[in-house]
Amino acid sequence: MSIDTHAEHDAHGGHDGGHHEPPEVVDGRQRMAIWLFIGGDIITTAALLFTYLYLRGVNTGGHWMSMLGYPGPQMAGGHTYAWYQNAASLADPTNVMVGKLAAGLNWTVTLLTVLSALIIWGAEKALRSSKNAKNYSMTCWVAVLVTVVAIVLSFKQLQSIPQIYVAVNDSQTMSYTTYDSSMMVIIGSAVVHLFLLAFLGVGLAIRSARGVINGDKWYQARLVRLFWVWVGVSAIVVSATTTFINVVH
Amino acid sequence: MTSTLEHVAHTEAPQGGGLARRQNIFTGFLGGVVFGWASWAIAHHVLDQSSRNFSDMVVLFLTFGWTVGFWLGIGALNGPGRWLIGRDHTRADDLYYAGENQGVKRYWKFCTDHKVVGVQYIVMTAVLLGAGGILAMAIRTELIVPGNHFVDQQVYNGFIAVHGMLMILALIVAVAGPWGNFVVPIMCGARDMAFPRLNALSLWTLVAAAGLLLTVLGVGSLTMGWVVLAPIADQAGIGMDFFAMAIIVFTVSTTVAGVNTICTVMTMRTKGMTLARLPIMVWSAIIAAALGLYAFPYFSLVEAQTLMDRVFNTSFFIASGGGTGWLQANLFWLMGHPEVYVILIPAVGALFEIASVMARKPVFSYRTAIAGMAGLAGLSMLVWAHHMFTTGWAPNLGGPFMLTTELISLPTGLFFLVIVGTLWRGNIWMKLPTVWLFGFIFNFIIAGVTGIYLSDIPIDNQLHGTMFVTAHFHYVFVGSVLFGAIAALCFWYPKVTGRYLDETMGRISFWLVFIGVQVTFGAMFISGMRGMPRRYSSYALLFEHTNFITTIGAYMIMAGMLVLLAAVVRCWSHGEASGPNPWQANSLEWLVPTPPPLENFDVLPVITEDPYNYGKELVRS
Ligand SMILES: [Cu+2]
Repeated sequence: MSIDTHAEHDAHGGHDGGHHEPPEVVDGRQRMAIWLFIGGDIITTAALLFTYLYLRGVNTGGHWMSMLGYPGPQMAGGHTYAWYQNAASLADPTNVMVGKLAAGLNWTVTLLTVLSALIIWGAEKALRSSKNAKNYSMTCWVAVLVTVVAIVLSFKQLQSIPQIYVAVNDSQTMSYTTYDSSMMVIIGSAVVHLFLLAFLGVGLAIRSARGVINGDKWYQARLVRLFWVWVGVSAIVVSATTTFINVVH
Repeated sequence: MTSTLEHVAHTEAPQGGGLARRQNIFTGFLGGVVFGWASWAIAHHVLDQSSRNFSDMVVLFLTFGWTVGFWLGIGALNGPGRWLIGRDHTRADDLYYAGENQGVKRYWKFCTDHKVVGVQYIVMTAVLLGAGGILAMAIRTELIVPGNHFVDQQVYNGFIAVHGMLMILALIVAVAGPWGNFVVPIMCGARDMAFPRLNALSLWTLVAAAGLLLTVLGVGSLTMGWVVLAPIADQAGIGMDFFAMAIIVFTVSTTVAGVNTICTVMTMRTKGMTLARLPIMVWSAIIAAALGLYAFPYFSLVEAQTLMDRVFNTSFFIASGGGTGWLQANLFWLMGHPEVYVILIPAVGALFEIASVMARKPVFSYRTAIAGMAGLAGLSMLVWAHHMFTTGWAPNLGGPFMLTTELISLPTGLFFLVIVGTLWRGNIWMKLPTVWLFGFIFNFIIAGVTGIYLSDIPIDNQLHGTMFVTAHFHYVFVGSVLFGAIAALCFWYPKVTGRYLDETMGRISFWLVFIGVQVTFGAMFISGMRGMPRRYSSYALLFEHTNFITTIGAYMIMAGMLVLLAAVVRCWSHGEASGPNPWQANSLEWLVPTPPPLENFDVLPVITEDPYNYGKELVRS
């Protein structure tokens, strides 16, 4: 390779070149990384939707929203695992139907996720124009709070997923239909993302309170916001899909 | 021109580092074991012990604890922790993490220097290949004569599954790990990877995942091969939980590594290093990294679903709850076929590089080489169902998938064209890397041609599930990828150690492995064509002779690999000194001193032409 070793140094080169790069350059690199992570996350979201739509499509044995067994505690007339296990003689199992999960709760979590993203976005805009790091920090705490509420409600959603008691040979368990299984992995994935956002939000809040992020050094605020907004967008896409495409007719 | 960029050494004692001063591989394992044990104890305390899934839940807790504990112990979470509280690393801390003035100790630490990570990846590759190789020998020893003699069917099944997955992990990192880290940043003219801490994270996360995978052997076996087919995976013992967590943790490693590689190449190139002047190896690294980013999310999701079926009683793959094993097969192979090229492409990139240097000619049709690799990556996303031709899934799609699969022979054909075109009328320097390159060319033809047969549905209906398939993909992985990886090792070894890999030992190793591959898998093709099924610990007398031959061949491969290992270990300190540029190559990694100093360059070079302009300089040994 022909190289010119006598060329004048890069403006920011020299001995510490790799470390004293201007913040815009480092930021550009980090933004590319965030976009790549989002790219990977898009595949994950697509795979989750594929799982949901595929299982609904095959609807093995008509069991997308039903299962041969006994209603679990979240259903009318249902009982707990212990109750069934100790019941002396159970009637023959029947095809237990489950309903859709509450769309209201689902959309509440989704809108809270979107709201937290908008708060972070707005806070970043304000930081860049008004240069007030203290306000930014406070607003980040609000976004974290909203995220935590979304996490709590997500766990409520997970708890509300109806179980069905099944006994096959010597194996007895509380099980879930494929619709509920798909919703569980979708909500589970959302919870993992929300935890990540909460971590990032706390980091932004503390860092801006300490002045590491401020009106002139706001690059990290934008990095986190990019990912946060993507999580909000994916929440809408996933919720819309599961709200409008669910029951098999 | 071939100048050497001199470097001025620093000699002060290390400063900074904080907590990392007390962290190393030992505290990593200690953290993993302590947190794993604590999680195990907590699980026993809080979980319902009468639950059918109790043991699976416990394993979920334990494996999670192990991973987090290992990360904490090795120091992987220091950076995120300090980011969280707003006390970022100082320059002194960064230099401490980069291992400045720490001698060999830095190889046992969470070290951010890409060259240290590269060497750590060499060791990790050797460990994974070694463990997988021992299992391969155990498998072949069991199959040397018909009937069960050494292990029973269940233990044998576990060997098959863990051998398969260990080797897949080993080959995913075999080229991209050592050389994607050690040489690719220098090739670009960068002082390090874009994100040095993420780089160390990817390496040590692989170590954590490997620990989980090896545990599978200790806790009872897996009965369904390395693809862990559902619904058998739903019924397997707790080994399956370790396996699934190993994969999920592993995909964290590959994702982080892939992002890092792409960002390094796209944003860290030195002045004048345009995309068209990049060494072809760098192109292979980013194409493979991008393909990995596409493929591995499916892998973690499918294993997460398997875990959920086992731990939380979901029904993804269970028909009574509406599930289907086809979902598992689809998600797995959406990952599985691209993954083959995540493995293959860096090896091919390294071989392009070697062919050019050793023939003293530019890479023949540089753009064709890039198009071939990118085309292969693109096509690989559209072929996954060829693994499901005989499962009954979507028979109407058989034709289209057969077509896309057969199209694969176009980009792989371009690889031959590029390598042969580069060597054509070259002044070929027949050193170790070149020897392995020729071995690759021979084996890759057999791998490719037998692949075309298998892509043909009528033939696949006969051959699927037989040893023919096993022989085919071993020609891909052993005959082609491993040969490429060894060629790369022989080629860049002098850059790492300043010494040549011993030519005599290297050639003994080559002939043992090369002949061993033909004997082993040639005979295995015959077993397969006569109908011998895969994954059985015993077989009919009909297959007696070919299996005996296969086992003898496998021992030859092992012998050859041991000779190679001995050469690598011995030459590290006793090999013939090579100087900084033994192959008289023009790419940047050869123009820095050997070993390259911390941060590689004192002055970042400015590039004025591509690295393949050999002009009239001809070199002969
Ligand atoms: Cu394939």
